[in-house]
Amino acid sequence: MKFVKVLFFSLLFLSPLAKAAKPLRIQLWHQMIYGHRVVLSEALRQFEKENPGVTVQETYRETEELRSSYQAAAMGGSGPELVFGPSDQIGPFATMNIIRPLDEVLEEKYFEQFDPLAIPLYHDKHYMIGGAVGNHLMLIYNKKLLAKPPQNSDEMIALGKEHTRDLNGDGKIDRYGLVFNYTEPFFFAPFIPAFGEAFMTDDAKPNLDTPALRKTFEFILRLRDKEKIIPKECDYETANALFKQGKAAMLINGDWSWGDYKDAGMDFGIARIPLISETGKWPSPLVGTAGYSLNVNMTSSAHLEAALKLLRYLTSERVQLMFMERVGVLPSNLSLRDNPIVKNNPLLKVSAEIMEVGTPMPVVPEVRGVWDSLRIQYQKLLANSLTPAQAAEGVQKLAESQISDMNEVLQPDASAFVIKGLVLVLVILLAWVSKGSLLSFVQGFKGPQKFVYYMMLPAFVGIFAVIIYPFFYNIAISFSNFSLRTFQDWSIVGLHHYANALTDPKFYALFGKTIAWTVVNVFFHVTLGVFLAVVINQVMPAKGFWRTLFIIPWAVPQYITALTWRGMFNQEYGPINQFLQQFLHLSPVQWLSQPFTAFTACIITNVWLGFPFMMIVALGGLQSIPHSLYEAAYLDKANAWQRFRHITLPLLMPVMIPAALLGSIWTFNNLNIVWLVSNAGEPGDQTHILVSYVYKAAFNLYRYGYAAAVSVLIFLILVLWSLGSLRSQYRKETR
Amino acid sequence: MIKKTLAWFSILIFAMFSIYPILYVLSVSLRGDNAFQSQSLEIITSTSTLKNFVDLFLRTDFLLWMRNSLLVATLTTLLGVALASTSAYALSRYRFRGRNMMLFALLATQMFPATMLILPFYIILSKLRLIDSFWGLFIIYSSTALPFCVWQMKAYYDTIPKELEEAALLDGCSRWMTFYKIILPVSSPALVITALFSFLSSWSEYVIAAVVLQDPQLYTLPLGLRSFQASMATQWGLYAAGALIVSVPVLILFISISRYLVSGLTMGSVKG
Repeated sequence: MKFVKVLFFSLLFLSPLAKAAKPLRIQLWHQMIYGHRVVLSEALRQFEKENPGVTVQETYRETEELRSSYQAAAMGGSGPELVFGPSDQIGPFATMNIIRPLDEVLEEKYFEQFDPLAIPLYHDKHYMIGGAVGNHLMLIYNKKLLAKPPQNSDEMIALGKEHTRDLNGDGKIDRYGLVFNYTEPFFFAPFIPAFGEAFMTDDAKPNLDTPALRKTFEFILRLRDKEKIIPKECDYETANALFKQGKAAMLINGDWSWGDYKDAGMDFGIARIPLISETGKWPSPLVGTAGYSLNVNMTSSAHLEAALKLLRYLTSERVQLMFMERVGVLPSNLSLRDNPIVKNNPLLKVSAEIMEVGTPMPVVPEVRGVWDSLRIQYQKLLANSLTPAQAAEGVQKLAESQISDMNEVLQPDASAFVIKGLVLVLVILLAWVSKGSLLSFVQGFKGPQKFVYYMMLPAFVGIFAVIIYPFFYNIAISFSNFSLRTFQDWSIVGLHHYANALTDPKFYALFGKTIAWTVVNVFFHVTLGVFLAVVINQVMPAKGFWRTLFIIPWAVPQYITALTWRGMFNQEYGPINQFLQQFLHLSPVQWLSQPFTAFTACIITNVWLGFPFMMIVALGGLQSIPHSLYEAAYLDKANAWQRFRHITLPLLMPVMIPAALLGSIWTFNNLNIVWLVSNAGEPGDQTHILVSYVYKAAFNLYRYGYAAAVSVLIFLILVLWSLGSLRSQYRKETR
Repeated sequence: MIKKTLAWFSILIFAMFSIYPILYVLSVSLRGDNAFQSQSLEIITSTSTLKNFVDLFLRTDFLLWMRNSLLVATLTTLLGVALASTSAYALSRYRFRGRNMMLFALLATQMFPATMLILPFYIILSKLRLIDSFWGLFIIYSSTALPFCVWQMKAYYDTIPKELEEAALLDGCSRWMTFYKIILPVSSPALVITALFSFLSSWSEYVIAAVVLQDPQLYTLPLGLRSFQASMATQWGLYAAGALIVSVPVLILFISISRYLVSGLTMGSVKG
C-alpha cells in the first residue's frame, strides 16, 4: 500500500515535468552520402542544443527511395516536416502538391543571399533552398599518369590512346585512357549542347531529334569503337574501381566523388570536360543543387515554426561553412564565396570555373521522361541495334509519348458510371447470395464446430486485415486516373487502363517473356534441386556439410548478391568472362549490353538464388521414400537410372509439385533480380518482365492507375494458372 | 566408380557455382579501397584488411540493428508459429463451409505484385499510427509469412494418423488439450520449419521495414545495411562485411536445426 502511495505521489510530481520535457520532434528525410551525413548530424545536434525542446530526427533514404517514400507519406497526410533531395524532385513534388512554396513562409529578402542555382524556380515559385551548388560532372585525372588535363577533345583522344594499354602483354587492356558511366544519359548529356543545341527547350519540350544528339551518339561510339579509349562495358562502379586502382588515366565524374578519391589516397586533378574540337564549344554539365523543401502536411503550427527555424539554420552561413570545410562543397550563400577557405581551396576554385559552362538542372517533371527515353534509345544504340539517326529519331518520339502519358489526366467517361454501378450491384448481389453462408459462419462460433472457428480465425483475421485494404485500394485505383497530375484528387474514370493494357502488343510480349522467365527458372530450380539432393543423399559423405554449403546462397541478403552477379557479368573485368576466356578459350560475351544475354544473366542469377530452397524440399522428400523399395529394386537388378525413374521420381513428385507451384508464383512476381541485375531493365528497357514493368510505370513515371491495372491483370493470370494446376493435381490424385 | 567420380565432379562444379559469388562479396569486404569491382580472380590479395569488419562493429550502429532485428524476427516467429499451427490444424482436421476457398485465398495473397501494396500499406499504417513502431512490423511480417507456413503445417498435419486424436478424445481430453498435448509435440519438425521460414522472411526483409521505420534507433539490419548504400557513393566495404555477418546467424540456425528441417519437410510434404 505504501508503495502505491509513493508511486502515486511521485507520478503526480513528475507529470507536469514530463509534459514540459516532451520535446517537439521535427523530422528530416534526406539522401546525403555517407560523408555528408556525418556533418549533417553534427549540425543537427548543435541545433538541438541551441533550441531546447526541439529534437530533430534525420532519416536517410537512397534518392529514388526517398522520392517514392516521401510521396507515399505525403499521400497519407503525414511525412517529415523537411525533405532534402536533388533539385529535380521539386517539379514532381510541386505538381503533386506535396511540398509548399517557400515564398509563403519566408520573406522575399531571404532568397537574395543565395546563388540562383540553389533556389530553382518552378512556376515562378521557390520550393527548395540548396545548401550547396554543384553536382556537376567534370574531368578528373590521375596526376600520376597525366601531368595536365587535355585542352580539347582531339587532345583527349590522343592522350587516351597513349594511356590505353596492355601493360603485361596478355592481349587484354589493363589501363584505359578514359572511363565513365557512359551508358547513363546524365553522363553524356553534357556533350549534347557542345555539338549544337540543348536537349530540352525552355518551355520543357524535348528537343532530341537534332543533329547535335546524332553527333553526340557518333562521338561516344567513336570513343568506344574507333579510338577504343573507353571500355566496352562500363557502368558507374566499373569506372570508379578502374580509376581508383590507377587503371584509368581520366574519368568523368561529379564533385560528390572527390571525398572518396581523397580517402583512397589518390593524387588527382579536376578540369572541365574538354572542349569539343570540331565545334569549338564546351560540353556543358548540368549544375544543380540538393536542398531542403517544406512538407505541406504539418501536425501543428508549432511544428511549422520549428521546421522553418531549422530550415533557416540549415541554410545559414554557419552550417554551410561546416559543410564546406568538412566535405568541400561550394556553398550556395553568395557572401561565403569570398571567404578565404573557398578562395584557397584549389578544388573549389576549379570547380567554380567548371560550373561557368554548366547548364542549370531542369526541375520540371517532364525531364524524367526525357532521361528515360534517352536511356532506352541510347542503350539500343550502344548494343548496335540502332544507328545514331534512328536512335535520335526514336528518342524524340518516345520522350513525347512518355511525357504525354505522364501528364495525362483522364476524365471520367460513361464507363465510370457503369463501373460504379456494377460494383454496387455486385456488392448487393454478393451480400444477398452469401447471406446464408455468412449467417452460418457467425453461428459456427456457437455451434458444435466452434473450436475450429476459434482455431482458424486469428491467422485469417491477421492475413486479411493486412492484405484486404491494400488489395481493394489497388483495384480502386486501377479504375482511376491516379497519376502525376491527380496525385491528391484522383477519381474513378472507368476501364481505360485495362483497355489500354490489353490492346498494347507490348503487354503480350512482356507476358510471353514473363512466362519464359518463370518456366526456365522453375525448371532449373527444381531439376538442380532434385539432382543435388539425390547426389548428396545417395553418394556423398558428410551430407550435413554439403547441405549447408548449398544453402549459403539463400542466407546472404539478396540485395548484395544480385549486385555481385551484376559485377561478375562485366564484359572485360567480370570473373565470368575471365573464366570463359582463360579456361574455356571462348571469346568474351557482352552480357549486360545485349538484351538477350542480359536477360540470360538475370535468369542465371535467379537460378543461383532459387535452387537451395528446392534442394531442401527435395532432400526432405527423399527421406520419406522407404529404403526397402531400393533394396527390392537392387534385387531386381534395376540400374541407377531405372531406380531414379521408377522409384525416386514418382515418390518425389507429390512433394515437388506444391513447392513448384508456389515457386512459380514467387518467380512470376520476382522484381528484385531483374531490377538489380539488369539495372532497371537495361539495355534499353528490353529485359523487363511484367512486374518490373509495373514497378517502373508506377514509381518512375507516376502512372499509378495504369500500374495497378496491370497488377490486377497479373493477379488474374496467376489465379487462373494456380486454379488450373491445382485442379489437374487434384484430378491426378483422385484417379 | 565412374558414377562416384561423376557425382563428385558435378557436386564440386555446383559448389563452385554456389560459393563463388559469396567469395566475391568476401573479397569486397576485405578490400581497403571501397571499390565493388576488381580485375583479378583472387579473393585475398596483399592489400586485404579486416578494417571493414572492425569499423562495422566499432563505428556504426551495427549491434543496435542486430538487436532490433533479433527482437523483431523472434517475436514475428513466435506469433507466426502460434497462428500457423492453430489455423493449419483446423484446416487439416475439419471440414467446414469455405475450407477450400480459404486454402486458395491463402495462396492468392501471394499473387498480387507486392510493390503495389506499399503505398496503401503506408496510408493505412499512418492512419493507425503504426509508423515508427515495431508493432507495425510484427503485424505485417507475421501475416505475410503466414500463407506459406499455414500450407506447410497443414500438409504436415495431414500425415498424422487420425487415430492418435480419437484415442485422446475417448480418454476425455478436450479438443484443445488434444491439440496442445498430443498433436503439437508430434509436429515439432514442421514447427521448426515454420519458425525458420518466419524468421528468415523477417530477418532480411527490407521494403516493408523501409516503409514502417524512420527512426534510426529502430532500424533493423537490412535498413542499416542499406544506409551504407547511396546512389554513386556506396560504402561497399562496410556493406559487404555487414551482409556476410548478417548471414552468419541464419547459417548457424540452419546447421543446428537441419536435422529437423529434413525430416520435417519430409513428413509434411508427402501429401502436399
